Amino acid sequence: MDEQERAGNGAHGNQRPGLGARVEHISSSAQQVWTEARDAVSELKETIDLRRRMEEHPYAMLGAAAAVGYILGGGLLTSMTGRLIRLGLRVAALPLIKDELWNLAGSAVAGFSSRPPSSSSEASSPGTGASTR
Amino acid sequence: MESTQQLQQKAREVQERLGPQIEGAKRGLSDLNTRIKAFVRERPGVCLFGALALGFVVGRIASRR
Repeated sequence: MDEQERAGNGAHGNQRPGLGARVEHISSSAQQVWTEARDAVSELKETIDLRRRMEEHPYAMLGAAAAVGYILGGGLLTSMTGRLIRLGLRVAALPLIKDELWNLAGSAVAGFSSRPPSSSSEASSPGTGASTR
Repeated sequence: MESTQQLQQKAREVQERLGPQIEGAKRGLSDLNTRIKAFVRERPGVCLFGALALGFVVGRIASRR
């Protein structure tokens, strides 16, 4: 039986493994590769954890998905991308500008309300004083 | 001085007139935000795929121009 197998498998001697052993080896290797791939995929899933990210930052994830779709659609190297980037920068700068304007308006109102009532007449007096000289 | 008082009065009137509308709009936006977030949390795959498809279409249109 053993000799028959060896002869049928084309093995030359006792050192070369038979077809069955090779198939077994290949199948165990394939199984190992499959297990490793499955582990890698599950690890990747755990790392990315789309569901949790979607629950924590839904808008950011939707924006990222739209951005990926935009790039896949070939819109990356277009003039619209430049416009979108400029718009994004403006929107990002909006809170800073708002704070600055708020501070400016606050200081202006504070200065306006702290000014004594006679200061308005004093403000006009230098002109009149200059004219009298 | 009188003009300052008039301005203050005007500002108060505008605030009284627009205050409830602004509050209503704020409440409406907050409600909309809550509903959108709930929808996205219920159907994350659909929303992601939809956003991807939308981005793809926009990118396609932008590249044709």
